[in-house]
Amino acid sequence: MRPGTLILRAVLILAGLVVVIPLLWTLLNAFKTNADLLVGTPKLFFTPVWDNMDYVLSRRSVARALQNSLIICSSAVVIGAVLGVPAAYVIARIKNRATREAQFFALSLRFMPPVAVAIPMMVIWISLGMYDSRIALIVTYLTITISITIWLSVPAFERVPIAVEEAARVDRLGPYATFFRVALPIARMQVLSAIAFSFILVWNEFLLALMLTTSKAKTLPIVASEMSQLGMNVPWGILNAAVVLLSLPPLILLALVGRGMNTAFSKKSPQD
Amino acid sequence: MATVECRSVRKSYGEHEVISDFSLSIEDHEFVVFLGPSGCGKSTILRMVAGLEDITGGDLMIGGRRVNDLDPGDRGIAMVFQNYALYPHMSVRENITFALERAGETKDMIARRLAPVVETLGLQVYLNRKPTELSGGQQQRVAIARAMIKTPEVFLFDEPLSNLDAKLRGHLRVEIARLHKELRSTSIYVTHDQLEAMTLADRIVLMNAGRIEQMGTPEEIYSRPATLFAAGFIGTPGMNFFNLVASGGKLTDGEISIDAPFPLSERPVTVGIRPGAISLVRDGMPGAIPAIADRDEFHGETRLLSLTAGRQSFMVAVPASVRVAEGEQVFVSLAPDQLHLFDTESGARIDA
Repeated sequence: MRPGTLILRAVLILAGLVVVIPLLWTLLNAFKTNADLLVGTPKLFFTPVWDNMDYVLSRRSVARALQNSLIICSSAVVIGAVLGVPAAYVIARIKNRATREAQFFALSLRFMPPVAVAIPMMVIWISLGMYDSRIALIVTYLTITISITIWLSVPAFERVPIAVEEAARVDRLGPYATFFRVALPIARMQVLSAIAFSFILVWNEFLLALMLTTSKAKTLPIVASEMSQLGMNVPWGILNAAVVLLSLPPLILLALVGRGMNTAFSKKSPQD
Repeated sequence: MATVECRSVRKSYGEHEVISDFSLSIEDHEFVVFLGPSGCGKSTILRMVAGLEDITGGDLMIGGRRVNDLDPGDRGIAMVFQNYALYPHMSVRENITFALERAGETKDMIARRLAPVVETLGLQVYLNRKPTELSGGQQQRVAIARAMIKTPEVFLFDEPLSNLDAKLRGHLRVEIARLHKELRSTSIYVTHDQLEAMTLADRIVLMNAGRIEQMGTPEEIYSRPATLFAAGFIGTPGMNFFNLVASGGKLTDGEISIDAPFPLSERPVTVGIRPGAISLVRDGMPGAIPAIADRDEFHGETRLLSLTAGRQSFMVAVPASVRVAEGEQVFVSLAPDQLHLFDTESGARIDA
């Protein structure tokens, strides 16, 4: 191996460690007692305890928040996909002023600071009498899920060769059949990654949830953050346990579609 | 089986007209090749026949039925695309049978129709593979199978061999010719490759800038090109052209002079002659034209000499055994019965 390659490898490994070690540390700390946590020299070996997890999982607020998060995020993602994926297909295939504007609008939603959405939304939901409801958060989150799904699915559909869709027309497929039987299956990996990404974004969303919920519809990130406000004594173990639980669904999703994302981006697109 | 007829078909994109008044009638069983340089409109017309492009004006008839407003799937056509256009997410078998399944054919029927098609194209071993696992030639075979199984009234080929390497192109060309002999389906084949056109076509439609330059059998177009464009486009190596003036029974540019094959009024003419119709002769032969050899290309059986005579440079095909040194003076004679005369301005052929 050449010295240059060796140095690059070392830099790469270092960068990897910078990312991984804090995560690993959080994971370890989630299973430590306070006595093990609050020592001068960090302990790498200790007797793991389930107490922190138990505490987090047994709290009513957490169970409720978990339920809220699951319902709100999956609804927003499913509705976002149902509306966003066909929209992306149309934007990718029909190029005119209207679709160009629509694509730019979807993108511009991503430029907008969440605060700019949060305050008007808060006023709207209060005056509709739906403040602090799951519906309110689902609808608000749709701005995120639809725009992300559209934004990331348009290039996926643009990569489907036009000739393949023309072949489908010659094979007697109408526009809907062409979408469902040909374009969507060909673009499925990238579209799935787009949907998964939109799920991760809303699952981790904090600001909108903070401003649009007070009790009933609180999501997991809100409840997890509240755990640091339990008093002077920061309950590090419990905090870490909450973070671990919070990170699990996105990680599982990544594990499921991450490989798909990779192949979708690295494999040469068919028939180019 | 069906006839295809274009009646004053037009195509414009907004203000820009690319095809104006295109009329052509294709007979049942006929294999017609649209030949022309890129951008001549040949693919546009094929796509209009397929129904993938809207027809701006005129009538398109397939089997005597006006099909302008029918979907591609309802026109009784099947198409083979330049880049194969297979469904990448389906196996070879699914690719071939997809259209039949969509049409609601029974499993039995599909299997019965699949077998002979697969056998004809030698695809048995590939049936369960994905298109991406096949070479370009095999992919195009699958695409042809997908078209064949539909037993269409008209086969459309859009430059099907352009993406293949030279050797495979030759193989598949022979295969397409054989298939057409068996199936006898009316076929329209678009290509810019004159060899494909010459070897496959019952009739070549030579196109340029959205218009038909000439229509005819390969022999007709080769031996009697109707325009300067047709003369220059067909034939490898290309035809030689001399810009001369007809005057007093002679065609001359002041330095070289040849006998006019028939009486002509005094005007500029372009004389075309294929490299094979020029021969090297000894000095002193009547009509011998002196020329200087510039280059000598060895082509295997023949040698292609680049010669200059006065202002004119031209190519001569001679047997490979003839050796001419560069810069050497030679004498050539043009076979009088193989001269093609064209009006220099309009490009139209001049006949006796």
